[in-house]
Amino acid sequence: MTTANPTVTLRATVPVRADGRVGQFSQFSGLYARELLKTFRNPWVIVITLVQPFMWLAFFGGMLSQVSSAQLDEFLLHAPAGTSYLSFLLPGVLSTGMMSIGMFGAMSTIQDKRFGFMKRILITPTSKATVYLTKALGSATRGLVQIPVMIAAATAFGVTLHGSPLAWAAWILGLVLLGLGFSALFLAITSSSTDWQTPGVISNFITMPLMFASGAMFPASIYPPWMRAIADVNPVGFSAQLSRSVLTYGQFTGTDLTYLGYLGLFALVMILAGTALASRYLKVE
Amino acid sequence: MSANGWAIHAQGLTKRYGSLVAVDHVDLEVPAGSVFGLLGPNGAGKTTIIKVLTGLSDITEGTAHVAGYDVRRDPMHVKQRVGWVAAEVILDDDLSGWENLWLQAKLERLSDWKGRAEQLLAYFELTDRRKDKVGTYSTGMRKKMEIALALLHQPEVIFMDEPTIGLDANVRRMLWELITGVNKQFGVTVLLTSHYIEEADVLCDRVAIIDHGRFVATGTPSELKGRVKADFVEIETSEALDPARLRAIAGVTDVRSQGNAWILRVGSAEEALPRLFHALQTDRIRRINVEKPSLESVFIDITGKRIEQAGSDVQDYRKFYLNVRRARR
Repeated sequence: MTTANPTVTLRATVPVRADGRVGQFSQFSGLYARELLKTFRNPWVIVITLVQPFMWLAFFGGMLSQVSSAQLDEFLLHAPAGTSYLSFLLPGVLSTGMMSIGMFGAMSTIQDKRFGFMKRILITPTSKATVYLTKALGSATRGLVQIPVMIAAATAFGVTLHGSPLAWAAWILGLVLLGLGFSALFLAITSSSTDWQTPGVISNFITMPLMFASGAMFPASIYPPWMRAIADVNPVGFSAQLSRSVLTYGQFTGTDLTYLGYLGLFALVMILAGTALASRYLKVE
Repeated sequence: MSANGWAIHAQGLTKRYGSLVAVDHVDLEVPAGSVFGLLGPNGAGKTTIIKVLTGLSDITEGTAHVAGYDVRRDPMHVKQRVGWVAAEVILDDDLSGWENLWLQAKLERLSDWKGRAEQLLAYFELTDRRKDKVGTYSTGMRKKMEIALALLHQPEVIFMDEPTIGLDANVRRMLWELITGVNKQFGVTVLLTSHYIEEADVLCDRVAIIDHGRFVATGTPSELKGRVKADFVEIETSEALDPARLRAIAGVTDVRSQGNAWILRVGSAEEALPRLFHALQTDRIRRINVEKPSLESVFIDITGKRIEQAGSDVQDYRKFYLNVRRARR
């Protein structure tokens, strides 16, 4: 043998047999770690995740920054004096941002299918449910990156943030649940797809309407009834309300707890339904 | 390994995609510890057979046992005992060689894998590059890395889909040695697919020749070659040719067309060629090719066409690799 090192014994010297295997969490942690490694090693992924919400603050916030505070107060806020539109907008932007990250999870899944990596995974004793769950958790985790950056950016824009540590914990939990729910939803819808375009199309059908009919940019009280009907069941709106309560107004009420519960339910239902769908329909290639 | 000594045992194995029958009632018996080859043109159903035997695709009809387990009933047990090397070399290019091994160990749920991984890296001479992203590896190194991944959990059966497609002649020869080494030294049963005659001939203990999803012949390479008692002459002319003229030549027992060429079955090429030159205007002969008994001539004998041209389109695999790697960047 010209290439092999003859001193290396190839026979099984390490006792790794089928019966000596560790639990299924091994597959889960491995795939989840892969998602994180691939995300955080790719600078562009980070840039895209961060720039989008930042643009919202800069341009959308900038657009309305010259409107007089009296007009704004009447139209939008009914908030404590000194509250700027930016501090109204920030919670909404973070919530819409958590919704759109689901699209990246769907795209990375399609990439794995197209480059064959899904075959490499599924030819091992790994279940489709595990693949699905790690993708959903991976993209939700990635969405969290924007939180500290947005907080820093908002502070730099002169926004004062309120809220106790406990209220912040509730707010961030809400964002995680929202991100999980939408990642689960996007991944479930695209689980049988291998087309690069699908996540973008689906995303436009879901993200755009839910973003505008959420109260994330403007208060839902100014909406026409049909949009308000959407806002009433829109998880993005619930998260925006919860975030605004904590960050802008510095409170955490019983209503906010209900919002949090609703977000938990949303995430749970999406994950359960998505796992069932993906176990059946997740395509290998 | 199953009790009756078969590493792979399938009966009436069938896979349909809608109305397309990719694998058509195939019976397959692969003794444990052997190297078995599926030889056939592109699109014959070789890769599909691997997919259904490894549980990647559902079996439409028939039964299959791999490493002693029923593929339909216990796919997870089968998956624990098989390794797989893809034709297109599938690795995670964003991860290093060592990280690819680590992920594979996680997916195979191995508790104690590092010593084994180091041995494999040493065997495949990849130890120096273990920390580099596999995206920077050469094609030969990537192929070796993929085989290392397939061996990490000590599979009983390893499936290699077109293991040397698109590789240089010297890398191909090196891989042949590796495959033989894997089989002999690791004691792993190997099922490989190929559309290279020479590869099947050199590597395989037994070969099944496959065309349109069916096994058209099975046996050891020498058995199969012994079956054909004829030579084949392939001839391409610049002008249209009346096959009756070819049939009239003494010693020609059969004439078939393939594209612009004619394939003549003759008793002995040495005796047939002078007669052929006599019968045809030699300046009209554009190309002539003699096929002595080989696995190729077995395929020609049964199907009337050559393996490497029989597929609908012959891909340029170098270009294919290049595009895949560019797309990954």
